[in-house]
Amino acid sequence: MSSVQDTHGASVSPAAATSRAARIEILLAIGVAGIFLLWPSWAPPAPTNLLTLLLAVPALGALGVLFIPRQWTAVIRRFSLAVMVLELWISAWLFDGDFGTSAYQFAQDSAWIPSLGIRYAVGVDGISYWLVLLTTVITPIGLYVSFNSISTKVKEYAFSFLLLEVGMVGAFVALDLFLFYVFWELMLLPMYLIIGIWGGKDRIYAAVKFFIYTMTGGLLMLVAILYLVSQYHALSGEYSFALADMLRVQLTQVEQIWLFVAFAFAFAIKVPMFPVHTWLPDAHVQAPTGGSVILAAILLKFGCYGFLRFAMPLFPYASHLLGPTLAVFAVIGIIYGATNSWVQRDLKKLVAYSSVAHLGFVMLGIFSITGSGIEGAILQMVNHGVSTGALFILVGIIYERLHTRDLADYGGLATPMPIYATLFVIATMSSIGLPGLNGFVGEFMILSGSLASEELSVWQTMFALFATSGVILAAVYLLHAVLRMFWGPLDKKANERLPDINHREAIALAPLVFLMFWIGLFPNTLLASMRPSVADFISRYDAGWRESYAHDAQRLRPADAPSDAGTADDDVGATARAAQPEGPLGADHVLALAGGSK
Amino acid sequence: MIALFGEWVAVAPLILLAIAGLVMLLVDAFVEDHAQLALFSAAILGGTALVAWSLWDGAGTLPVTPLVSDFLATDRFALFGDITLCVGAALSCLLAGGYLREHKIERGEFYVLVVWSTFGAMALGRATDLLAVFVTLETLSLGTYALVAFRRHSPRSVEGAMKYFLLGSFASAILLFGAALLYGATVHTDFVGIRDALRSGDTGDGPTDMRLAILGIALVLIGLGFKVSAAPFHMWTPDAYEGANTPATTYMAVVVKTGALLVLVRIFFVAFGDEVVASEGSGWASAVAGLAAITLVVGNIAALVQKNVKRMLAYSSIAHAGFLLLGMAAAGQVEEGRLKTEALSAVLFYALSYTVSKVLAFGGLIAAGSHGKEAVTYEDLAGLGRRRPLVGAAFSLGVLSLMGFPPTAGFFGKYWVISATVDAGGWMVWLAVLAVLMSAVGAYYYLKVIVFLFMKQPEANAPVAVPMRSGYVMSALFIASYFVVFMGVAPASYVRLAQGASYQLAGLPDPNEVAAPGSSEDATEHDGEAGGEAGAGAVAAID
Repeated sequence: MSSVQDTHGASVSPAAATSRAARIEILLAIGVAGIFLLWPSWAPPAPTNLLTLLLAVPALGALGVLFIPRQWTAVIRRFSLAVMVLELWISAWLFDGDFGTSAYQFAQDSAWIPSLGIRYAVGVDGISYWLVLLTTVITPIGLYVSFNSISTKVKEYAFSFLLLEVGMVGAFVALDLFLFYVFWELMLLPMYLIIGIWGGKDRIYAAVKFFIYTMTGGLLMLVAILYLVSQYHALSGEYSFALADMLRVQLTQVEQIWLFVAFAFAFAIKVPMFPVHTWLPDAHVQAPTGGSVILAAILLKFGCYGFLRFAMPLFPYASHLLGPTLAVFAVIGIIYGATNSWVQRDLKKLVAYSSVAHLGFVMLGIFSITGSGIEGAILQMVNHGVSTGALFILVGIIYERLHTRDLADYGGLATPMPIYATLFVIATMSSIGLPGLNGFVGEFMILSGSLASEELSVWQTMFALFATSGVILAAVYLLHAVLRMFWGPLDKKANERLPDINHREAIALAPLVFLMFWIGLFPNTLLASMRPSVADFISRYDAGWRESYAHDAQRLRPADAPSDAGTADDDVGATARAAQPEGPLGADHVLALAGGSK
Repeated sequence: MIALFGEWVAVAPLILLAIAGLVMLLVDAFVEDHAQLALFSAAILGGTALVAWSLWDGAGTLPVTPLVSDFLATDRFALFGDITLCVGAALSCLLAGGYLREHKIERGEFYVLVVWSTFGAMALGRATDLLAVFVTLETLSLGTYALVAFRRHSPRSVEGAMKYFLLGSFASAILLFGAALLYGATVHTDFVGIRDALRSGDTGDGPTDMRLAILGIALVLIGLGFKVSAAPFHMWTPDAYEGANTPATTYMAVVVKTGALLVLVRIFFVAFGDEVVASEGSGWASAVAGLAAITLVVGNIAALVQKNVKRMLAYSSIAHAGFLLLGMAAAGQVEEGRLKTEALSAVLFYALSYTVSKVLAFGGLIAAGSHGKEAVTYEDLAGLGRRRPLVGAAFSLGVLSLMGFPPTAGFFGKYWVISATVDAGGWMVWLAVLAVLMSAVGAYYYLKVIVFLFMKQPEANAPVAVPMRSGYVMSALFIASYFVVFMGVAPASYVRLAQGASYQLAGLPDPNEVAAPGSSEDATEHDGEAGGEAGAGAVAAID
């Protein structure tokens, strides 16, 4: 449906054809969104193998693309987009899951390589739920906006995107460490190709740097995973990579620290946290618009997600010990990213550095180990996906028109492109954290969480203080950019007759803008389903690092059914943290949190 | 098959190949089209692999003639070796079928040499006696020397062959010297006799001279380390690989290396498999681990700076030898029988996955060039993925597998070897870290191939490589791609194969067969015979 105008454009008069094609496309887009929203009530109950279906659809789609002749670009575009739309609709079935408990929904578990204990185990819980949905929403948008600029090797591009979607969804739902690692690496190659083939001038340097950074981290993580498995084997006598089994291994303090460092290194590169972030500006600036959108909106989230899902639950002692240190790096990242953003002349680089700052917030929220902080962090991951995704699309739009990203070349654009300016300001405000938009909720929860944090010991005020200054800096650098782009005299000849956004760009941006308002106004729709999983995470984490390591020998915790632990009623502290007021967030909320934490 | 071969059935693959080699010499004189020989030899080698596979269930219990039973093993380890070597050789023959014609050096003796040399490699994988090791190693090597020199008008080819020949002769001499010292120390040339003498300290003819034995072990390690091109004995590798025609390079990289690896494993885990000799601080396991570390570093760092793709692949094969040795060191390091055997299975799986990946990479390189327009440097590959997507995709798949990218065969092999290394515990964990860091280094030069294939366009007026069109090469690429993908996505059956081989070598019951009720009889019977002695293996069973 993306290329209706390609086929009709030649015969009828261009303007009429475009407007008719535009109408058709807009109607189709509304139809897609409508079916997505109505799906849970329309469709039969979700199949139990929903997650496998979610993996299989893009995988088969990728395979299918290979069989379409490369000259049929219109067919390839429509086909790949249709596959992604189908994936989007299927993912709507996730709404059927019961996220009132912390148990994994739609869990599946079957043997893959039995003699080595490698299993195909997948499931979603409150932590990964929204991230999977974010993936299925953003990926088609990323592909859709690409069609404006990608005209060569469309087949390979569509293939890469579909493969990327397999990797991303897979890594979010994998509950077996081996499976996770496979998907983790699988995402790497398509993104490498997307940057390296369709990127800007220094694309190869950026692509290789991205690949090597991530792969180095991943390989170190692999050794850590294998060490863990080897210890499990030594303790229990059998091989397993299942996360549930690995959580039972209680390592000595020294082992925990080493393994945590290996995991944290892999995830910190992906986030990216301050000293290992250098691949990000290169990759973002060189990547094509669609690639930047996916990279910022989803790939970066794997770092944060990895901490929440793997590094911290597996090594609670080490993360308790090193968490505050990482939080310091997170805060450094916030301020460093913000100040770097401020001085950029290149608009895309500006947005790229703002990602470093925003993900610093997410990491701070995670390491605060408070219900508010972690929920805020997960929410902020979604928010960042939405608003930075939108910003990259907007940057792409202006770049296609002017072929420059230098702020000095803009100025007064609000006159020729009023709708564009409006959308840009909305996305900016969302990114800054204006109340009523999504960014505010996430940042506020993270800051209140870190203020109440016990994990960050006596320094929590300092953390919150510096992080808050990051919010102010965000306003400074983003408004600075808005000022230079849209206001002031329209003094460049080339800028006077710029066309405003067309229907395609509008279709791509509309859902994102809708989400910005929706999450900003009704955050509880998202937060409610995260709460049980986060509460469970915290209670396990607290129990984990408080365990006695006095005799400091490895042992195996007794196996427990994960579904029972979900309610965590016996743990008063965790319940108090988890039970958050339903009403608007305010000072009471912070106090309740502070009082609730032990 | 027992009816047909009688008591020779256990060495049927060897006999078949020997007869086929003789027939081919004869056929060569009559056929016009030498490419048909490629198909013929590939079919023969593939058939031999199938024969070896058909013997799998009965391995270790089949009747065996006393004429060879003292020198050649007939266990699953040997059969696994047969399969790996035959697959590698058959694919090399297919590659040669396209390459030799394209480059106008088509002569029938290429295939005969490959078949005979593979015969040597298979016998080497079975050798259970130092004399047999030497004889079969020379059978393998002489054929390979000739293969390297096959393009006899090219000075580089002759230079490479000469280097390979001279250094190879030194290595053989060193191996022979080591064997002599071992004989002096233990008064035995058969592996089991050596093991017993080393274990008990008594040769049956006076005490074992341990100092002499250790010197002998070191010399054997050096001699065979040369053949698997472990650093610092790798000097010949890049020159010989670069000088040889590419199918011969492929053959050397997969068959010669695997053959030498097989005998290395058998000698070290059967003859020197005693715990004291292997895993004490001064034992050979530490030496192999050190060798692995040096090989990994040298191979990867040297490959990094190459401008010539073939040389890069040569150094990468050195790096992969490091991985094979790493798994071996891990197996030597652990004392627990099951972990040791798992590590050996990992090495075997790695050898098989390396074989198909390397064939795919070299095959991609062959397919990328044609007569007078060969792909030599990275620049020659520029934009090739665009012009010939199938070749580009196959080549990329090959280097991705060599890189260890999931879900390919190479990834699973690498994962398993590293897993075994971590299982070995202690400082071996740091060796695993070194290995993965070196893999990350490796990613750079493998990616460079993909960068040039898909992301760069040739410079204006620069000479470009023109891809050749050959059904032989494409079918080899297709078969190898199938294995690379399948062994990565569904490795379970190959894992079972590797485990079956190494468990029988170690004389432990095969975990996969114990579970299956149908074949449990075999396993228990075998277990009883071997007496559960680590390192005894089927050799003991045959005795």
